[in-house]
Amino acid sequence: MAQYSPKLNDGQPVLEDYFLDNKNLPVEEMAVGAVNPLDQMDCRADSNLMEQGPGSFSPQISKKVSRIQEEENPEEEQQEEEEDEEEKEGNELGDPAVLSAIHHVQRRHKSSPGLKASSMLGMSPVSLRFLCQTLDYFSPAPFQPTFPSASSPARCFGPQQPSPDPSLFYSPPASWPPRFSLRSHLTQLHPQHQRILLQQREAQRCGHKHQSPRVGKLWSQKPDPYADLMNQREKDWVIKVQMVQLQSENPRLDDYYYQEYYQKLERKQADEELLGRKSRLESPKLVTPYIQKAETYESVVRIEGSLGQVAVSTCFGPRRAIDAVPHGTQEQDTAIYNQKLQVLYRIEKMFLQLLKLEENQKNMLAKPHFYELQSKQLEKIYQALRTDDQDNSEEAANGFLQILSVRKGKVLVARLLLLLPRDQAVHLVLSITSHLPFLIRRDTADQALHMLFKPLGKCISLLAFNELLQGLQGLMVLQPGSQERPITVVLQNQFGISLLYSLLSHGEHLFSLNCSLEKHSRSDLAIWTNMVVLIAWEISHMSAASLAEPLIVPSNLLSLFCRYVDKQIVQQLEARMEYAPMGTELTCLRKLSCSSTYQSVRVEVQEGKIL
Amino acid sequence: MKDERNREKHLVLLRDGRTLIGYLRSIDQFANLVLHQTVERIHVGKKYGDIPRGIFVVRGENVVLLGEIDLEKESDTPLQQVSIEEILEEQRVEQQTKQEAEKLKVQALKERGLSIPRADTLDEY
Repeated sequence: MAQYSPKLNDGQPVLEDYFLDNKNLPVEEMAVGAVNPLDQMDCRADSNLMEQGPGSFSPQISKKVSRIQEEENPEEEQQEEEEDEEEKEGNELGDPAVLSAIHHVQRRHKSSPGLKASSMLGMSPVSLRFLCQTLDYFSPAPFQPTFPSASSPARCFGPQQPSPDPSLFYSPPASWPPRFSLRSHLTQLHPQHQRILLQQREAQRCGHKHQSPRVGKLWSQKPDPYADLMNQREKDWVIKVQMVQLQSENPRLDDYYYQEYYQKLERKQADEELLGRKSRLESPKLVTPYIQKAETYESVVRIEGSLGQVAVSTCFGPRRAIDAVPHGTQEQDTAIYNQKLQVLYRIEKMFLQLLKLEENQKNMLAKPHFYELQSKQLEKIYQALRTDDQDNSEEAANGFLQILSVRKGKVLVARLLLLLPRDQAVHLVLSITSHLPFLIRRDTADQALHMLFKPLGKCISLLAFNELLQGLQGLMVLQPGSQERPITVVLQNQFGISLLYSLLSHGEHLFSLNCSLEKHSRSDLAIWTNMVVLIAWEISHMSAASLAEPLIVPSNLLSLFCRYVDKQIVQQLEARMEYAPMGTELTCLRKLSCSSTYQSVRVEVQEGKIL
Repeated sequence: MKDERNREKHLVLLRDGRTLIGYLRSIDQFANLVLHQTVERIHVGKKYGDIPRGIFVVRGENVVLLGEIDLEKESDTPLQQVSIEEILEEQRVEQQTKQEAEKLKVQALKERGLSIPRADTLDEY
């Protein structure tokens, strides 16, 4: 019916005429006039509205609009004029003013999008919105195409965007020139459409490099109405929430990596400061707000370490109680299984204690009496680890060895060795060396003995000479159950041979330190010499292929062997121990010639007296 | 958001690889973001193009990282800005070459009797 014509210019003279009719009233007064009709409508034409209803009202308005706006449809005008005469009196003041006001708004809004139309009218946005809405209400369907922008200005009357284009809200007719703002943040065009428009644009701007002026405009320094959308309180709240998640009672446990990293950083800074960088930059510390942890109520019963809930039988969900009685058909297997479980359980308990110890060590280095605390704990673990009877021939029953058979047990012992006092550590080392073949056999699956090597190496350097001899002697003892000597097994295993070498090296070291032979008893010396010779013999007579490659080869070993054994053996040893230097060989030979104990030992070996 | 006058632009990287640049208006504890006057920046080689997108509300789980853009440093990048059309074209070409290379690879592997399980999304493994 009433079509919205784009040719607003044509409508303009009509309006101005109308304004002139009203004796050149300024816009504001027009606005006032516009407002009042509504009130008047309310009170005067109330009965009208109520009785006539929305349907009847609408044609009047639409007719008014078309009357104002369109000059080019004489037919409609005639029609309208006919109908208008009837009810013109009642609504004459109201409608045209209102309509003109709205139309005025539209026009203005179109030409200068940045300005708020409500301020133009001198009305508050609310009242104008109300105006539009009432009109909308009174004439739903036919009204809408007439005033497509009537509602949109109302919507725009919030905080204004830098460049909103109200034309966006129109459903544009085909004749409408595309005046879309491509760069407007409100536009979401199909990529194809975008491309087409861009092409058009580029056609206009010939040869000009395509900048994005509107984007530049967006980032300009204009007063930002959205700047404090989040006030400081809200920001602090978000930060607080994040910080609360970070805090914990045991940060070294909960947040281990960050703590380590931070300590490393601090250490580095401290080093740098020591080196001479006087200006110490305080790295920002993470300070978490202290918030009392709320008492958490555990509504569900949980067993520590289990996954999931405890099975509870209620009247709503009766559950069959799990049969916990063992069946007993596999007696032997369960015994071994239980034993294994026992060992694992022991390891776990000791591990927890060890972890606590290590924690304390890291934290409490400053405290004076931490050592006492430590030692008590250490003693506890040690006692748990030791076997009651050390001469337990049943190796399988030896608790310590059982623990060592498990990978985790090895880890435990390795870490514990670093913390134990000397005597206890030595005791453990000796028990390891005396039962080496057993351990090696048990380790074939894991191949985890290597982790023990480093701590053992450290402990070996603490050994006294007699203790060392004790350890070495164990290797030569012929085991009751087997034909071969433990040393053969040891030499074939990488860990074993490395351990052996380090033991020998330490012995040599001790020997060279105390050159005056009176320090050691005669028997000790004899034992030492025997050991060395035997070991050398064993090594040389073992095929090079079956010898394991040691983890480290101490440098003083060959010279050690040179002193006690003959040339042949030395040569073989050399080959096996992968020593190339010719120089050492010569020095060895020279040493040989003046060795005094050599002859006697050789004889004894040949006689098989030394075992 | 220290000062209304100096608005700080933020750059958000999403899990699907998109880069968004805009004014961060709101954030919550899940890192849900409200970005204003957002621009999606597509990078291909040394070129980039900006597509204006408007207001974004991003769910926190899709955010990889968020950082503030130094407005002074922003102007001296070695990258060259191009039009949207051009960058989309470049992106399409790049995708094509990637797909072709992938296809050849898969074909080669297939001939050898091997197969690589396809990752349906970028960051799931």
